[in-house]
Amino acid sequence: MVELKNVSVTYSNGVDALHDVSLRINDGEFAFVVGESGAGKSTLIKLLLKEITPTSGRITVNGFNLEKLKKNKAHKLRRTIGFVFQDFKLINTMNVYDNVAFVLRSIDAPVKYIRNRVPYVISLVGLKDKAKCYPNELSGGEQQRVALARALVNDPQLIIADEPTGNLDPKTSLEIVELLKGINECGTTVMMVTHEHELVRHFGGRTITIKEGRITFDDYIG
Amino acid sequence: MKLSSMNYLFKQGMKNIWTNRIMSVASFCILAVSLLLIGFTMLFVANINRFVSGIENKNEVVIFLKDDVDESTASAMENTIKNINNVEKVNFYSKEQALEDMKKGMENENADELFSYVGEENPLPDAFRIRIANIEEISPTLMEINRLEGIDSIKSPTDFINILTGLKRFIGIVSLVILLALILVSFVIISNAARASVDIRKREIAIMKLVGATNTFIKVPFFVEGMFIGILAGLASAAITCLGYNELVKVLSQDMTLWSIMSINGFIPVSEFIWKIFIGYAAAGMIISAFGTVMSTRKYLKV
Repeated sequence: MVELKNVSVTYSNGVDALHDVSLRINDGEFAFVVGESGAGKSTLIKLLLKEITPTSGRITVNGFNLEKLKKNKAHKLRRTIGFVFQDFKLINTMNVYDNVAFVLRSIDAPVKYIRNRVPYVISLVGLKDKAKCYPNELSGGEQQRVALARALVNDPQLIIADEPTGNLDPKTSLEIVELLKGINECGTTVMMVTHEHELVRHFGGRTITIKEGRITFDDYIG
Repeated sequence: MKLSSMNYLFKQGMKNIWTNRIMSVASFCILAVSLLLIGFTMLFVANINRFVSGIENKNEVVIFLKDDVDESTASAMENTIKNINNVEKVNFYSKEQALEDMKKGMENENADELFSYVGEENPLPDAFRIRIANIEEISPTLMEINRLEGIDSIKSPTDFINILTGLKRFIGIVSLVILLALILVSFVIISNAARASVDIRKREIAIMKLVGATNTFIKVPFFVEGMFIGILAGLASAAITCLGYNELVKVLSQDMTLWSIMSINGFIPVSEFIWKIFIGYAAAGMIISAFGTVMSTRKYLKV
């Protein structure tokens, strides 16, 4: 569950990135967050990851009160969230298997569990035969699938996808969103940030629009 | 942290050395050269100290006794001198022995003819040959000896000793300054190399942080990587130091005349420090490199 109450962010250069934003995304929901460049979408994600702290307001993510969560304990919050980014953010020196397994290794998961879980998740995103490949040997769509597998492997309560289709062709974009929808149907909350209105209209559902740091629309479409 | 995780992180660190081989080689070279410079400077200083100590050990004060000092008085004087602080050794040097040594020393110069003029009477005085423990404290020691009855004169290389002591202090200070400067410069260069090595992986570190890895989990492979490169650089530079030093000593020892004039018996042999060098270099390389690398990751861990 994600909850923001009267959250404002003003950067040190005086820019008001978010202004009095209140928002609640319940467990098991799928929500699109749309807005133009500079609307405040990235700031919203940084807040949820505890990369930055709000100037005012309260944020709760997966039961963590971010106001009270210390910076050096941020990993505890991040372990409950799966991330998918526009630029995939894969470690280029690790193959597909190791990129996905890294999440489990970093939480001291048992070796046996890693050996079973990782191939299963990789096959879920359709990359069974690519486990030994390195990111630079994969297409953009395949890299995003690896990122999805990495986001899924720890069975997170929430997946935040930041422009996951930004670098993909329309067909692959649809496949990725369909995969996210499938993950959501299994009970995981998904928050997908995008500026592709076509895609939002195609899939429909809860849509939150941010404009100039304020929520201007929050309703179900389609 | 579980043993399996430690095993994974160790392997990851070793793998990173190969994955980032260009930076690994650069770090290795920089560290090895720095250790070589420091090592050779230390060996140079150690040899200089050995030479100066060698000269110091040849110090000898000769106390000439008056003619009227009999055997029992001389024996009492010897005991008194022995009990003076800073006197390491006292030897009675009789006038007969002195004459004998003088004759031996002049064998090739018609000594018999020369000494026939001297006749039966030995003109040389009895004496004590004294070795001083701490040469820097020679003046107060001599003053104390001088208070004894029966002393005719004292011959001591005070001026030479003063110059030597000053030289030793000067060398000590200069070498310390050079060593500190070298260590400082090396540390700056090494930490820059470590920073550059970490810098090209800042994206990797940021991703690891985002997927929930702890700082320790991220740092351990860097630590292992730095440690291993440091040990390798330490061992390589120790080997080069020993081989290079040995060759240098061989070349310099070909003609010992000059060194003999300077009362230098020889250089410190490699066998005297070989293990210290290998262990010291490997430990220094490991510590500098491992901690330098880990410290460089700190900036990127604040995500």
